Amino acid sequence: MKRVVAWMKDEMLLVIAVGLFAWAFVVSPGRAIEALGAGVRTFLGVLPIITAVFLAIGLFNVWVDKKKVASLLGKGSGLRIVAVASLVGTILVGPVYVIFPLMKAVRDHGARWAVVGAVLAAWAVKIPMVPMEIGMLGWRFSVARIVFVAAAAIPIGLLLEWMMEFGHRHAGSVVQVGEQAGGEQTRH
Amino acid sequence: MAFALLMAASLERVHVLEQYIGYSYLVLAALGLVWTYSKSREKAKAAAESAVRSFANVALTFVAVFGLVGLLDVFIPPELISRSLGAEGGVMSLLVGDVLGSVAAGPPVAAYPIAAALLKGGAWAPAVAAFIVSWTLVGFVSIPFEARTFGMRFAVVRNGLSFVFAMLIGLLMGWVL
Repeated sequence: MKRVVAWMKDEMLLVIAVGLFAWAFVVSPGRAIEALGAGVRTFLGVLPIITAVFLAIGLFNVWVDKKKVASLLGKGSGLRIVAVASLVGTILVGPVYVIFPLMKAVRDHGARWAVVGAVLAAWAVKIPMVPMEIGMLGWRFSVARIVFVAAAAIPIGLLLEWMMEFGHRHAGSVVQVGEQAGGEQTRH
Repeated sequence: MAFALLMAASLERVHVLEQYIGYSYLVLAALGLVWTYSKSREKAKAAAESAVRSFANVALTFVAVFGLVGLLDVFIPPELISRSLGAEGGVMSLLVGDVLGSVAAGPPVAAYPIAAALLKGGAWAPAVAAFIVSWTLVGFVSIPFEARTFGMRFAVVRNGLSFVFAMLIGLLMGWVL
């Protein structure tokens, strides 16, 4: 039972979709079938691009050396490294449970909070998925989004750092759970 | 003049490319895999495995997303979309798009079909942009994991900042598009 609940939590979207379809079939079977058809048609339309996206994710995974990325971002402390981080973040691919620990390691190696913040913001660009975005939303939309997200990564990183260190310069400030000793150094 | 014509012609071609981008990208990715194979068999194998694994992780979510896109297409009246996400809504639409993207827990690839369906239904482009940006940038569902990795303060501050920036980026995109 616990397992089923955990699975349903993981696949929340599927549970919602199945529930809605069940409701649709009761209310109006004809339109429910129409909706199913529309979903399948959309899927078939983007099938080539989805295949390509996942192939590209695999290629990025083997060619982008995460260790190199980590050591590159650990060095330097000026504004330039934050800008570099906003570019590096765009080529990172992977789920939350890979990227968060990776950036935690980068932080533990001495990177600024701004670097961590900028990478995690630029990570939203997701280069391998861009062709899919162009196909579905148009190239103007896609290019504008990429440029703005990558540009916003720098202020996001800097603001994050400022808020992380706000009040932490005084001795005896509250150290939160998860911020173990060593990871918490005051920077200026 | 000639330059402007040339620009217009090439823009036209880009539009055509939007239709064939799926196949072009597939060919490019396949070439990338072949090139990887020529460099290192192990790398190519690892890439293929990683591709299959990544897909398997989100396969069920894909079923859900395309089901939802179908439902959205057939059951949601365009008036409803333009009322809650339309241009007349202004900041409110922007906020609705931002919140929808923040609470949605799905792979980024799933955001595009939904966004396209919303646009087709009459949603305001900046609101859709805020939706996509917050989908990738803000993760309410992953906050516990983020807090365990970086501390609660980090998780709250990063998601909060990202939420605000998603709206700003949406507005800027409405301005250029």
